[in-house]
Amino acid sequence: MSSPKCKDPIALNLWYAIAPLEEVLDGKVERSILLEQPIAFTREPSGQIAVWSHDGDGARPVGASLPVQERYGYFWTTLGTPDADIFAIPEYDEPDRRNIHAASFGVNASAPRLVENFLDMGHFPYVHTDILGAEPHTEVKEYFVERSDERDEILATNCKFWQPMASRASSGGADVDYIYRVPHPYCSVLYKSAAIDPARMDAIAIFIQPITQESVRVHMMLSLLDDTSTDLDIRLFQQTIFGQDKPILENQYPKRLPLDPRAETPIRADKSAIVYRRWLSDKGITYGVIPAAA
Amino acid sequence: MATDLQNTWHPIAASTDLVKRHVYQAQLLGREYAVWRADDGYVNIWENRCLHRGVRLSIGINDGRELKCQYHGWRYANRTAGCTYIPAHPADAPARTICNNTYPVAEASGLVWCGEHATGDLPDMSGFESVTALRGLPVNAPRDMVIEALGAYAFADGCSAQTDEHGVVTVTAADGQAVRFFVQPSDSNLSVIRGVLNQALDGAERIAALRHHNFLLDVLRSQVEARAAELETPEPMTPPIAKVSADLAEIPPEQEGGRTAELRVQVVDKTVTAEGIVSLRLEAIKGQLPTFQPGAHIDVHLQNGMVRQYSLTNGPGETDHYTIGVKREPDSRGGSVAIHDSLAVGDVLAVSAPHNNFPLRRDALHTVFVAGGIGVTPLLAMARALNSQGLSFEFHYFVQSHAHAAFRREMGEFGDALTLHKGLSPEDTGAKLRDILASPGHARHLYICGPGPMLEATRGIAADLGWSDEAVHFEYFKNTKEVDDTNSFQIELARSALSLNVPAGKTILEVLRENGINMESSCEQGACGTCRVGVIEGEVIHQDVYLNDAEKSAGKSIMTCVSRAASDRLILDI
Amino acid sequence: MIKLYDYELSGNCYKLRLLMSFLGLEYQTEAIDFYPGNQHKSDAFRRINPLGQLPVIDDDGLVLRDAQAILIYLASKYDPNGKWYPRDDAALLGQMAQWMAFADGITATSSAARLHDGLFYSSIDIDAARAGAHRLFRILDEHLFFAEEAGQDWICPGDHPTVADIACFPYVILSEEGGISRMTYPAIRRWCDRFKRIPGFIVMSGVFPAGPGFTDAAGVAA
Ligand SMILES: N[C@@H](CCC(=O)N[C@@H](CS)C(=O)NCC(=O)O)C(=O)O
Ligand code: FES
Ligand SMILES: [Fe+2]
Repeated sequence: MSSPKCKDPIALNLWYAIAPLEEVLDGKVERSILLEQPIAFTREPSGQIAVWSHDGDGARPVGASLPVQERYGYFWTTLGTPDADIFAIPEYDEPDRRNIHAASFGVNASAPRLVENFLDMGHFPYVHTDILGAEPHTEVKEYFVERSDERDEILATNCKFWQPMASRASSGGADVDYIYRVPHPYCSVLYKSAAIDPARMDAIAIFIQPITQESVRVHMMLSLLDDTSTDLDIRLFQQTIFGQDKPILENQYPKRLPLDPRAETPIRADKSAIVYRRWLSDKGITYGVIPAAA
Repeated sequence: MATDLQNTWHPIAASTDLVKRHVYQAQLLGREYAVWRADDGYVNIWENRCLHRGVRLSIGINDGRELKCQYHGWRYANRTAGCTYIPAHPADAPARTICNNTYPVAEASGLVWCGEHATGDLPDMSGFESVTALRGLPVNAPRDMVIEALGAYAFADGCSAQTDEHGVVTVTAADGQAVRFFVQPSDSNLSVIRGVLNQALDGAERIAALRHHNFLLDVLRSQVEARAAELETPEPMTPPIAKVSADLAEIPPEQEGGRTAELRVQVVDKTVTAEGIVSLRLEAIKGQLPTFQPGAHIDVHLQNGMVRQYSLTNGPGETDHYTIGVKREPDSRGGSVAIHDSLAVGDVLAVSAPHNNFPLRRDALHTVFVAGGIGVTPLLAMARALNSQGLSFEFHYFVQSHAHAAFRREMGEFGDALTLHKGLSPEDTGAKLRDILASPGHARHLYICGPGPMLEATRGIAADLGWSDEAVHFEYFKNTKEVDDTNSFQIELARSALSLNVPAGKTILEVLRENGINMESSCEQGACGTCRVGVIEGEVIHQDVYLNDAEKSAGKSIMTCVSRAASDRLILDI
Repeated sequence: MIKLYDYELSGNCYKLRLLMSFLGLEYQTEAIDFYPGNQHKSDAFRRINPLGQLPVIDDDGLVLRDAQAILIYLASKYDPNGKWYPRDDAALLGQMAQWMAFADGITATSSAARLHDGLFYSSIDIDAARAGAHRLFRILDEHLFFAEEAGQDWICPGDHPTVADIACFPYVILSEEGGISRMTYPAIRRWCDRFKRIPGFIVMSGVFPAGPGFTDAAGVAA
């Protein structure tokens, strides 16, 4: 492999979900792109997944391969040498949950713009009208955001929003509790009140695979406490929601997330986004963002 | 540095492109614009990027008065581009300074003109006094190449072309028909040919001419694009992204200081709108009036040196003037009498920018307005905003008689939502209010404004009937309470680590100002809320009529113009 | 009852949901796992549509495929006023057929670009798809510009929209998902606003509604 197109050492040394396991087929070579680097993968006769970089022809250089891990229904790889493991989603292993791959979509937007959209409640009434929000219930109430340096992640808690139809399993409007985690610069996990068990929470994760600075493949995983809806219904619900965000994301300018605090105008509802932008700045991330001028 | 092209005017649309309730998307020198015509005809040219999260405003909604962003529903006013409402925080008035980037606009010769830094005159159009604008034709080629090709344009016998130093091409035929072309530089490899004929045509003739030129230009376009495709495509232009003002980058925004009259307005109309009430239409002498939100008031500095507060009655999008209503009050200190008797159309007044201490929530399921007499003014602006958004409300207007009801024309649009209560005794008013306020209910909000006794009565009835403090919003015109300023105490300023003594006979506001702290204020009698400051520690003697009872007992803020400390010391959040 | 084999993100299925909503028709849907499940290519589905494509309807045993064909069928059978597919004017029938065929061209280009960018249909030549869509959009924009000049709001003559408008709308409005900007097509952009204001209009995921239209003091839309 020649020197990588992506020059951001932090981005290079992260783990990325590339494809759901069910789409990695025996002997069939599939291609993908990670941080502008063409990669290919297959399932070997041994059952192991092999991933490698190539120059655009898909050919596998002898002996070359990238690290692989299977996690949360996807295989993950990296172009560098991560110093941390893939973040934990403990709920994934709870026996009574259904873990579902909703879809992987291509989006012409930067990865951090997707993360911010995922953290944002204020757009529900306008973008997910009559599903995740409806006018005049537009208020984003105060919530807490903390940045845990020890776990190196962002946590927003005590978030609440009134929703007409919070999930495939809900039967009417309700105030829904949310918790958001950003455990990876390009991944986020949210927890929201489960329709069937108010004491527990459904989890929805986005794992973003940057193709270029301004285009991505987003993998969506749900871990739900829903024993009535079919997998198909759940997947389609999530696809509908994401399909609504897509035209917004593709109409944001600039596409890369501006980290200069004076580039855009935050309000209190954007607290988590402000902390996220600072966190990216402090990490020194440059891929998919417009760094604040020093 | 601004280039020549940035300093000059370019057409970016035909006038007919800007139909009402539509947002047109344009590009000039790499920068995108959202262009929209309000119902009053005004053409807005804004950067195509919501200041909140960068979403293109061209996917937003033009409701005729305001442009609503598609992502979080922020509303921006016609003309000023100032934000009037942020739905995520329905109880707050947005900082007046949240304003989209606007650009120079002109409409002439059937075209809409813009220039990033355009000043000066539009291109000379002599010989083109009456015109027909051709269909604009986008071409994937650099501007220079298009201009060059237009030099050979021939649409009739004996055509000759002239290209001036600005790249404007005029092609004249033997019979005197002429077409003048401006090539809009959208981006490095995208131009739009915008031509005008020197004749105003209509009917079949117009369509024939449009088709004729459209066909010829389409042929020309194919040739130019073929040529451009052989060359290396130039990199797209990258216009710099302007920063928002520093105070908007942090939350919450800083206060602005002073009781200043930063605007000069002219009285353009003075009309008696009801018995003893005049309405004044005020227009800016120069430039654009700042954005207002429903509920806002301005300080009017009268010719006799008095300063009075008046609420704006304007509906959304009415941004080319302010309208206030003034009641003649012979017993008062004379402000209203001066306006009624001495102020004339054509006079100039100094006024402050609008302050909004009476913000309107728009997340209520239903809103009840109770107006008494001249207290109708702020509520009128609020109800007009809800009405234009199609939100549910009812408007109760208590007046002495039909002749005393002001702004009837404006209220005409409320239809059945308006009820006029005429000549009721205090007892009957009370009974009526009990009816009106019978069902507080979830997400219902009440706004009251009127004379002190009526306001007190309405608040009392609302509280009796179970309306919570959070759901009841009110504004007094004035504070009629006797203010006691006989004690003295210490104040500590938490953010500047200053400790000051407030002696008897002086207000906190005065002491702060004497010590060089720039404080905003307006009514200076504890009614308007402008001089509000946060309290971190200490007990307050509230002497204002702005805070509600819950806010007063919480003791978290103080009106520095009238209220004082009950303890020896107050720690203020400034 | 009519059954629509449906996928929410499909613009071709949306055409039928639009018409049925305009007509106030009740119908059932059977959700097909188009993506990522590829259910439209399954043996079971190929028995319903050997082309392995959506949409398909089943109306009391009549199984029809192809969005344009289904629009014609539904409008002919269920539009009591005959407005969406007027059948008594030969010229108009020809024009509607012409623009329906054009709509299939929009599917072949704009929808293809969207499938490439959004759902990783890697065999699609994305540059050709985008260029093809722009070629069609130029033609449509010019057509709509002169239609407006002639006082005509819709793709075909007459004061009511037709199935031709429905057939063209979805992959025009979704074109940006395939990287096809509509900035240089102002007449198309205005027509999209008008289309969204047709009574009974519904959105699909990826399409935003329009705000209220302008009516003058006499209540007349302008
Ligand atoms: N001409 C057909 C085209 C339908 C079409 O392209 N459908 C897409 C879904 S929106 C499809 O099923 N594509 C799969 C394929 O063509 O293999 C129609 O208008 O219905
Ligand atoms: S981006 Fe426009 S309102 Fe948030
Ligand atoms: Fe969303």
